[in-house]
Amino acid sequence: MAIVAPQATRSTVEAALRGRRADVRGRLLESMLVLALLASLAILVALLFTTMVTAWPVLSSRGWDFIRSDTSSIESRAGVWQGLTGSFILVAFVAVIAIPIGVAAAIYLQEYARDTRLNRALIANVRNLAGVPSIVYGILGLVVFVQALRSLTGPDTYGKSFISGGLTLSVLVMPIVILVTMEALRAVPSSIREAAYGVGATRWEVIRSHVLPYAAPGIFTGAILSLARAFGETAPLLLVGAVTGYFSTGTGRGPVEVLQGKYTALPTQIFAWAKLPGQEWRQNTAAAIVVLLAAILIVNLLAILLRNRYERKW
Amino acid sequence: MGVGAPRVSLEIMRGSATRRRKELIVRAVFASAAALGLIISLGIVLALAGEAVLWLTRIDLGSLWAQGWFPRSDEFDLLTLFAGTMMIAVIAMAVATPLGLGAATYLSEYASPRTRRILKPAIETLAGIPSVVLGYFALTVINPTIVQKLFSSAGTFNFLSAGIAVGILTIPLVATVTEDALHSVPAALREAAYGIGARRRTVTTKVVFPAAVSGVVASLILGFARAVGETMVVAIAAGATGTALRTFNPLEGGQTMTGAISSLAIGSDQVRGSGNAFLSLYFVGLLLFAVTFALNVVSERFVRRVRRMY
Amino acid sequence: MGKRGKWLAVVAAALSLSLLAAACGGGDDGGTGDTGSVDLTGTITISGSSTVQPISSLVAELFNQDVAPNVSISVDGPGTGDGFVLFCGGETDIQDASRPIEQEEIDACAQAGVEYVELEIAFDGITVMTNPANSVECLNPGDLYALFGPESQGFASWSDANQLASEVGGTGNFPDAPLEITAPGEESGTFDAFIELAGFEDTALGRGVPEDQAAALRKDYQPSPDDNVIISAMEGSPSALGFVGFAYAQEAGDQVKELQVDGGNGCVAPSVDTIADGSYPLSRSLYIYVNTAKLAENTSVKAFVDYYLSDDGLVTGVTESGYVQLPADRVDATRAARDGAAA
Repeated sequence: MAIVAPQATRSTVEAALRGRRADVRGRLLESMLVLALLASLAILVALLFTTMVTAWPVLSSRGWDFIRSDTSSIESRAGVWQGLTGSFILVAFVAVIAIPIGVAAAIYLQEYARDTRLNRALIANVRNLAGVPSIVYGILGLVVFVQALRSLTGPDTYGKSFISGGLTLSVLVMPIVILVTMEALRAVPSSIREAAYGVGATRWEVIRSHVLPYAAPGIFTGAILSLARAFGETAPLLLVGAVTGYFSTGTGRGPVEVLQGKYTALPTQIFAWAKLPGQEWRQNTAAAIVVLLAAILIVNLLAILLRNRYERKW
Repeated sequence: MGVGAPRVSLEIMRGSATRRRKELIVRAVFASAAALGLIISLGIVLALAGEAVLWLTRIDLGSLWAQGWFPRSDEFDLLTLFAGTMMIAVIAMAVATPLGLGAATYLSEYASPRTRRILKPAIETLAGIPSVVLGYFALTVINPTIVQKLFSSAGTFNFLSAGIAVGILTIPLVATVTEDALHSVPAALREAAYGIGARRRTVTTKVVFPAAVSGVVASLILGFARAVGETMVVAIAAGATGTALRTFNPLEGGQTMTGAISSLAIGSDQVRGSGNAFLSLYFVGLLLFAVTFALNVVSERFVRRVRRMY
Repeated sequence: MGKRGKWLAVVAAALSLSLLAAACGGGDDGGTGDTGSVDLTGTITISGSSTVQPISSLVAELFNQDVAPNVSISVDGPGTGDGFVLFCGGETDIQDASRPIEQEEIDACAQAGVEYVELEIAFDGITVMTNPANSVECLNPGDLYALFGPESQGFASWSDANQLASEVGGTGNFPDAPLEITAPGEESGTFDAFIELAGFEDTALGRGVPEDQAAALRKDYQPSPDDNVIISAMEGSPSALGFVGFAYAQEAGDQVKELQVDGGNGCVAPSVDTIADGSYPLSRSLYIYVNTAKLAENTSVKAFVDYYLSDDGLVTGVTESGYVQLPADRVDATRAARDGAAA
């Protein structure tokens, strides 16, 4: 008598193990988890959908003009140009100040510093800074950049300038850059380092030629995600003088005047417009939100692209 | 191999002086960058502490227990703000915990690699939505369509809709940290469990989750700290005005620590009626800094335990 | 070196692009009025009342568009009280105010050596409003005191206020419906104006309310700095109650029911005419205060104030923003005040 073994497919094995009882609880758990995941995503979709619907009349009728116009008291003329450029300048500040200093600090803490109590405390301190609410950084910016360093940051505007806003955001974002970079550096296998030491490289040479290239994708992602975060921040800017109402800047100003002059940012504009009455302003606000989300999405995509580009299999 | 071969001396091993100097310079540059981090946190504490102490000396300490937070009328009831902050944080965690943990567990244990590759960035995108957008969403969508339908007594502003919005903001944080924790549980543990015939849900709930519990708890604490520190959602949706009566009812509106700071700050340097109003901003800021600091320290203890175990 | 170099290049490109974009200015570079001081440059900082902010914003925008595109102007609206502090600190050139300057602020300005001129620029009203489904039609100051005043704290229903209303000369007869109030908060000039126009302080003091609580509203209403929100709160409950500036209520249209106010001459509904001729009791003047030193030394401030006080500002600017323009005699008075200060 030949023993005909049933085909050992996954389902038959599972059925054999289960003893033909349906795994109700298991299925239930799985469906609850799926539900949790889908609910989280559904909220995102709902948010985008409602915003797009409200924004559509403005975007479809004015489109590029909406982006290119300055803010205005007249609904049909108001645009997000000042906010958009303001946000980009602030983000440029962060990119130039926070990222190099943050990466450098992370390199020191991860590669150079010995594991002493002082250094462990320092790292713990950086972690705490990353968790501090952004508005507290706003207070710091108010006290240090707007008030104390007024003559540098904005002699004509009582310290409420791009420089103050940019520095405040840089200080806010720096701990995050440090932490992400440290994680990326930590992930580099010691074999890579040892290989470099083995041929007689100094510590810096090891870092420069072996560690950093390996950690580069992670560092990039972290840097760009922190830029995206800076792009969306509102609370600290309100404290360091981003203008919420109308403002004009005239033309023909040099870069230094621009940086020392009054400014606004896109999230600030959204916050201000949300308070204005009437259906048209609500549409304008929704349209501005769409522009903001689009900008942040582009920055995120950039992060993913750059990460894929520089990723190497080791 | 002769007598004339140069001895290997320390000098030769050390290498050229230029390289050594470069090393020192580089090291110093990096060290100063790190020192900057220390300076910043000191700066925060100093900026806040000095003014906060000044404020405490100026006000009548009895006004720290009043019927509400009315800074321009010299009523600085701290419990009002603290209760508001806690209510929002608790409601937020009630939303973020099941959704965040659930999504993370699914992504880590159940989802196919392809699903994971698509959905994980989607959750991370949720993390990128600025809070001002979510505040607007809370005011215009969450409140009218959800909260007020369920609780007709809820006002236009209430902690519930703001709390839900903050919870939505916190989901990605909880999800990503939990997912990392679950994912870093060694495969050997899972395989051992499957090897003795455990079902997937048994493995997930009885093996993986307990092994990752420190990381999970750390993510919840981080999420709580985030919720405590959230400003814009509260400013827009919970009616962040300058004043609030003390309330423990989430269906009412009120004020949180962060909202109080922003409302005082959106004003200007000093206000008429009471110069002490603006200074209170520093004290509340210091309080906030202390609370989030404590929460972060606690979560770090948990994270360190995870690292040590494996 | 490749990664570093590429990164630096990207950053440098982004930075220069943004600076270029900003330095090239934004928005309309057009608008060269033929009477123009196109080459007039300078900076004007305006802050203060959020009620007056729309007027000043619009006038500033028209000024940039038609007269002097190169003048840099910023208009903020943190509130009249907060704005005065900036003004008396010399940080702003023009203060928007929804109420006249108070003694403490006069002292502060004097102490800081800031001299100013008060210019009345428009009329505004405070509209008391409720949900369209509410049966209440008209309130007098006694009613307002009974519903909003410092002694009304704890009244959860309209009918709770009936007793108090009869004591202070109100009409009472309120229905038994939930009393949910949403209104501007303490930091708003509209808050101050409402209390003053409805005479709360005198009534309260006369009834023995302590002095530091007399000029206030009840503490248990829902304050909001956002007028939009106050208006949408009216839709939230069939017996909701609140007040906002006239312009915002007009904008809301059918969303709210504007209540009539009886100041002793019968119930009057708020409208452009009743505010202009003063028959609507809760009407007030809006002002700008100009720093006279800045007026003298900063040519753009002078040009702007002149523009504001011309018909372009006092008529177009005011009415387009939804406020009530001044009658001719008040306009002349304002212009005379400006001439006196500029002399």
